[in-house]
Amino acid sequence: MTPPPGSLLCAEQLRKVYGPTVALDGAEFSIHPGEVVAVMGPSGSGKSTLLHCLAGIVTPDSGTIMYQDRELSAMSDGERSALRRSDFGFVFQFGQLVPELTCVENVALPLRLNGTPRRPAEQAALKWMERLEVDDLAKKRPGEVSGGQGQRVAVARALVTEPRVLFADEPTGALDSLNGERVMELLTDAARTTNAAVVLVTHEARVAAYSDREIVVRDGRSRDMERAV
Amino acid sequence: MNARQWYRDLVMGVRFTVTGGREGWTRAVLTGVGVGLGVALLLLTTAIPSALDARHAREAARTDITFSASAPMPRADDTLIAANVDTEYGDRTVRGRELEPEGPRAPLPPGVAEFPAPGEMVVSPALKELLASDAGKLLRERLPDRITGTIGESGLVGSAELAFFRGGDGLAAYLGDQRVQRIDHFGDRDSGAEPLDPVLLLLVLVVFVVLLMPVAVFIAAAVRFGGERRDRRLAALRLVGSDSLMTRRIAAGEALAGAVLGLLFGAGFFLIGRQLVGGAEVYGISVFPSYLDPSPVLALLVAVAVPVAAVLVTLFTLRGVVIEPLGVVRTARPARRRLWWRLLLPLAGLAMLYPMMGQGRDHGNFNQYLVTGGVVLLLIGVTALLPWLVERVVARLGAGGVSWQLAVRRLQLSSGTAARMVNGIAVAVAGAIALQMLFAGVESDYTRSTGQDTTRAQMQVSVPQEVPVAGAAAEFAATKGVRGVSAYAEGYAGDRRSDPGTTAQLTVGDCAALREIARLASCRDGDAFVVRDAEYDTDTRKLAVPGRTLYLDPSWEGVPRSKEIPWKVPSGLRAAGTRIGMTGGEQSGFLLTPKALAADAAPALTGQVYLRLDRGAPDAMERVRNTAAAVHPLATAMTWSDTERSDRFTAIRTGLFAGAACVLALIGASLLVSQLEQLRERKKLLSALVAFGTRRRTLGLSVLWQTAVPIALGLLLASAVGLTLGAVLLRMTETTVRIDWSSVLSMTGVAAAVVLAVTLLSLPPLFRLMRPEGLRTE
Repeated sequence: MTPPPGSLLCAEQLRKVYGPTVALDGAEFSIHPGEVVAVMGPSGSGKSTLLHCLAGIVTPDSGTIMYQDRELSAMSDGERSALRRSDFGFVFQFGQLVPELTCVENVALPLRLNGTPRRPAEQAALKWMERLEVDDLAKKRPGEVSGGQGQRVAVARALVTEPRVLFADEPTGALDSLNGERVMELLTDAARTTNAAVVLVTHEARVAAYSDREIVVRDGRSRDMERAV
Repeated sequence: MNARQWYRDLVMGVRFTVTGGREGWTRAVLTGVGVGLGVALLLLTTAIPSALDARHAREAARTDITFSASAPMPRADDTLIAANVDTEYGDRTVRGRELEPEGPRAPLPPGVAEFPAPGEMVVSPALKELLASDAGKLLRERLPDRITGTIGESGLVGSAELAFFRGGDGLAAYLGDQRVQRIDHFGDRDSGAEPLDPVLLLLVLVVFVVLLMPVAVFIAAAVRFGGERRDRRLAALRLVGSDSLMTRRIAAGEALAGAVLGLLFGAGFFLIGRQLVGGAEVYGISVFPSYLDPSPVLALLVAVAVPVAAVLVTLFTLRGVVIEPLGVVRTARPARRRLWWRLLLPLAGLAMLYPMMGQGRDHGNFNQYLVTGGVVLLLIGVTALLPWLVERVVARLGAGGVSWQLAVRRLQLSSGTAARMVNGIAVAVAGAIALQMLFAGVESDYTRSTGQDTTRAQMQVSVPQEVPVAGAAAEFAATKGVRGVSAYAEGYAGDRRSDPGTTAQLTVGDCAALREIARLASCRDGDAFVVRDAEYDTDTRKLAVPGRTLYLDPSWEGVPRSKEIPWKVPSGLRAAGTRIGMTGGEQSGFLLTPKALAADAAPALTGQVYLRLDRGAPDAMERVRNTAAAVHPLATAMTWSDTERSDRFTAIRTGLFAGAACVLALIGASLLVSQLEQLRERKKLLSALVAFGTRRRTLGLSVLWQTAVPIALGLLLASAVGLTLGAVLLRMTETTVRIDWSSVLSMTGVAAAVVLAVTLLSLPPLFRLMRPEGLRTE
């Protein structure tokens, strides 16, 4: 496979089957540094599976994924885990914050997993919380903050390692429109300032509007909807 | 609010349990398994008294030889002669009887369809299996008779009992032997149980409380499985209009369903366990499945108490939970746990035990209610104090590595859950430490020295009067594994043929054998000696008059007539000094070398052979027993030991070990089920943590810390309470308080091993839950 010139992450002919369900059936994808790509499609179309494959969480049954000239599917589980710690960031629909840790500890967690000592990790976490306007929640636990606040904490956690690629799976799915828009503004702004590529899985057009390009997934196949920003 | 509303809400809760799809069923099954394990153990406990009664009744029904000296029963067509031919194999007792019916109406023993003929035997199924196996090869040599049948269940006290009946011939000649008796029925007609010693009764009460408390604690924990998911569901109900009380009743309904499912599982586990128990033997005790019938009243109590407790526990735990209709459950910040009322429980327990301090065993039984109440309150005190202790300690724990931080923060957020998980183990350890202390303290009261000098002999064989002891000694000397033999022919000489006024012992042996029991200046075959100054002996001086006629084996009133052989005190009688014999006492009376006794006197004497064994020789004891059986079927081989312990004390201690093993297994299983339940609830979070690169090791260690920290605190508290309770119990029995550190260390060590095993067993599911598939929502 020859990756498109300048692409950071690209995939070709991805196929993934869960039991009788064909989740991906020849999907294609590519993204450049600093680019925001929305992956759209109806429920069950395979968009989350595509994200999981691109992030190295799930290995496809066939097809190729290249990240910076390295083939992701050829890497061991340990290598992919290390890559996720260092180069990738994640935001999920429900934040998936660790309920027993305070917000600042949650944001600092990826740095700590990379071996950064607690104090500098939490200092870096506080900076990102400031940028996402949730620094006043530092000592609170996820159960004590609202859904929108929690999602912003999750975005801060995803960006704290300054990842090259940020994967966001329905990041506003559990929020009202006002909170959803605020989260998207902060997420895309922060990603652009660090030149991070964003893979944004959503089924909402207003969320997809924050992207530079859209890919529609239907029945496991992808279709690139090139559009100017 | 009325009963109808209660009913409607409870039913809705029950419906949620069964209509929750796979998730709901999984949770219900986990709760059911958890509660079921506890219920099964409760049912087993309620069945123990009936099992013991059944064993006692079976034992009484087959009683034949009572070892009581009484006038012999005349021979009739409904009599039989039974001889006790018990033997030992390894550390197991083999019950043996030789039967000789004397008429057509002779009674058959329970479980036997017809009398075996001489050379035949009927055996218990366990003995049959043993004799057919390689492991039973040496026993087969001892019991060579042809097996013609199997003893039925009614003739055995347990499924694993080793027993046989074999046909006998000419047993009437041995009716003077206490082990041979003429009987006209089987069964002891007044087999009332002896009253239990107060200290032993105290031990039994405490053993029951200690074993049952962790079960109750565990059941309370099991009905709370799946609490977090349930809370989310209740929030959704609030959203659609349920009020706060309704949601609580619905939650109670869910718990009720779990408890009822647990009762069903418990009944199933009990029935399976009952069958398994039939094939097992614990510390030499086996039972038949039919023995394990729970008392109906106690079983009904379990069936009612478990669901009621489930509802009450649920309502109690929902006190601090504020369920709002926002789709989010906000747990009200738990109030800081207060110490004062938690301390009241153990203090009240101590207050109940206090009046019995120093009572000892000489002032009647301990008040059962005060003992039970006091011990229960002290142990409940552990469950009340532990959450407070865990909360206080984990609040002070600092941050360390990521795994430590994850564990500590989780504990800080919900220290109650962690404390609940280890409550059962803490209670079991506290109780076990106290009991071990009590056992160690009173052990000396129930253990006595036998006086047997195991450095000089390790076995003793008694041979009947007819068997020439010299020949028997030669047989034993030739047995593999025997290093030395001291053989004696022993009997009594009296001043009259019957009912003598004075008697003296008469012992015949070679010079080497006599030197083992007395100090002799010189000795040759033909010499005769007298020991006049042995302790407790005043008669020998009166009888040791050369030329006086005495009577060997004199008769006594009420028992069959003995040999009454006249014997003249030898003229050349020499004095011998006393020496502590192998059986621990000074030998007194006449000591004769073989030539000093006329041959016609020999039948009045019984042979005793003392054997020194080669400790390195395998199966030496079994070979000696085989030789004994070959010398004469009524020869009895005994293995010597320095001490012997009260059977009842041993039985209670054995019961504690068996019960503790069950409870620890249950607690291990409960910990595992709780752990899996917690992990399952965190499946999505675990997957998310893995998604951003968390190492498996980190999460595995965090699970270990999460269990190890509360367990360490629990064991600390359990040790303190256990030592206090142990000290109190020892003071009650007027025994010097001494801390038995070995029991503290062994119990805490076993508990720690359980935790480690649970952590290891929960790792594979943890790793499975960490798979990225957990992120899938569709």
